[in-house]
Amino acid sequence: MSKILIVDDEPHLRLLYETELRRAGFETMTASNAVQGLEFVETMKPDLVILDIRMAGMDGIEAMQRILERDKRIPVILNTAFSSYRDNYLTWAADAYVTKSSDVSELVETVKGVLENKATAQN
Amino acid sequence: MSIRKLVRGTLTLILAGGQGERLYPLTRDRSKPAVPFGGAYRIIDFTLSNCIHSGLRQIYVLTQYKSFSLDQHLQRGWNIFSYEAGEFLYRIPPQHRVGQRWYGGTADAVYQNIYLLQNRKPDHVLILSGDHIYRMDYGKLLGFHADHQGCMSLAAAVVPKEGADQFGILEVDENWKVVGFEEKPANPKTIPGDPDRCLVNMGVYIFDTADLVRELSFDAKQTDSRHDFGKDIIPRLVEQGLVYAYPFRSSQTHEPRYWRDIGTLDSYYEATMDLVSRTPQLDLYDKDWVFRAWQPPVPPFKSVHGFTQDGTLPGIVEDSIVGGGTIISGGRVERSVIGRSVRLNSYCRVTDSILGDNVTVGRYARVRRAIIDKNVVVPEGMEIGFDPVQDAALFTISPGGVVVVPKNMDLSDPGVHL
Repeated sequence: MSKILIVDDEPHLRLLYETELRRAGFETMTASNAVQGLEFVETMKPDLVILDIRMAGMDGIEAMQRILERDKRIPVILNTAFSSYRDNYLTWAADAYVTKSSDVSELVETVKGVLENKATAQN
Repeated sequence: MSIRKLVRGTLTLILAGGQGERLYPLTRDRSKPAVPFGGAYRIIDFTLSNCIHSGLRQIYVLTQYKSFSLDQHLQRGWNIFSYEAGEFLYRIPPQHRVGQRWYGGTADAVYQNIYLLQNRKPDHVLILSGDHIYRMDYGKLLGFHADHQGCMSLAAAVVPKEGADQFGILEVDENWKVVGFEEKPANPKTIPGDPDRCLVNMGVYIFDTADLVRELSFDAKQTDSRHDFGKDIIPRLVEQGLVYAYPFRSSQTHEPRYWRDIGTLDSYYEATMDLVSRTPQLDLYDKDWVFRAWQPPVPPFKSVHGFTQDGTLPGIVEDSIVGGGTIISGGRVERSVIGRSVRLNSYCRVTDSILGDNVTVGRYARVRRAIIDKNVVVPEGMEIGFDPVQDAALFTISPGGVVVVPKNMDLSDPGVHL
């Protein structure tokens, strides 16, 4: 079972994502800020990280760079309410980009797609 | 789109971190772009002059190893940009924004600075090397890129097959689309119908910015990548048919134009000696394309008689370039490039050599086929370039037999002098 780390500073979103991803068959863990998220990347070895971009303290873009620096093989999905970040070159190293919405199915499908791509690439 | 508009929308990155290990000891205290060349220049001056003549005045210079000398040179010699008018030249050492590390390959150096592209959002990014000697109007390359359908265009030079194994070898179709690329192959493929010459990558790249960022972002995640344009990015784009080669040649005769990667001591020596030939391949005296350099306030060159016991002895210069502030007092210089503020004393003789700034050659000393870096004192009567055994004991000798004396050596010091 793939382990998904959700990093977001909004508690209700963490709960919503956890619920939906678990329902889709994933194991989940959550962090409420980037620093904690990076600790979990180190200690829990997730298979994929969902990163909010705008968070208090370190933002998701910086956190993604640090994850990339530690282990290039961990896929990262950037998740934000601001679609303008798509045009920000600093976000382009993400494996996928999902704009936040009340419908979580796009995020769940993206998680599945990214993990499938990773598995194909490894084979 | 007009060339002018293309130029205006282009940001230039100059990769100037080259260690230049094969140029040692000239690179003992400086990076390769900061190595002096031609009596008045540093190697990077050629690329920067090309930028200025091409109208490109938004420049980042990415530095890394031993950058003090280069920093100093850029600050002194290239503080010519109008920051108010949006022009700039900034030096960017690794800032450890992306991880706690130095620049890896050439692609990593650019990737670590993607935030600069995000800040500026240029239409195109021109990536240059600060290591090469040539004269090129980058506007023509931009025009070529706009006329072709690739996401990247690179400039291609024609070089002799011998030595071409040091470059990326290109194969192109009739539209100059790159259909084959091999980085530094042991046995380089020659140009069809021209078995003695190869088409090579000059390390001059123009990208649509979004394509560059996409490629670098992808490459940054590849565990098996060396994060290098020549080894990783270009082969991948060539495979997708997205690279075009801009032929660096005369538009009239189609003859290849002059381009040198000063990679070794021997190629450094030969490229310098070319400057003192009657019709050099690189014309420093073309008023339409003057190569700029840091020009310290030195008095004009002077050649005078030296006084000797026998009367006077003329200072003689033949087939040479001599920098300002130099005084030849009764010495003789033949087929040589002499830097600034050099002192050549009576009866000394300098032949087929390169002398850096502030070198002193004492009376009766003889120097032949040698590169003497700056601030060296050659004492009275010393001979360099005549006795290979003695030279090898003290100095570096290139494979081609050129003796190289590193900078700041006072050879009159008893501890060093034989």
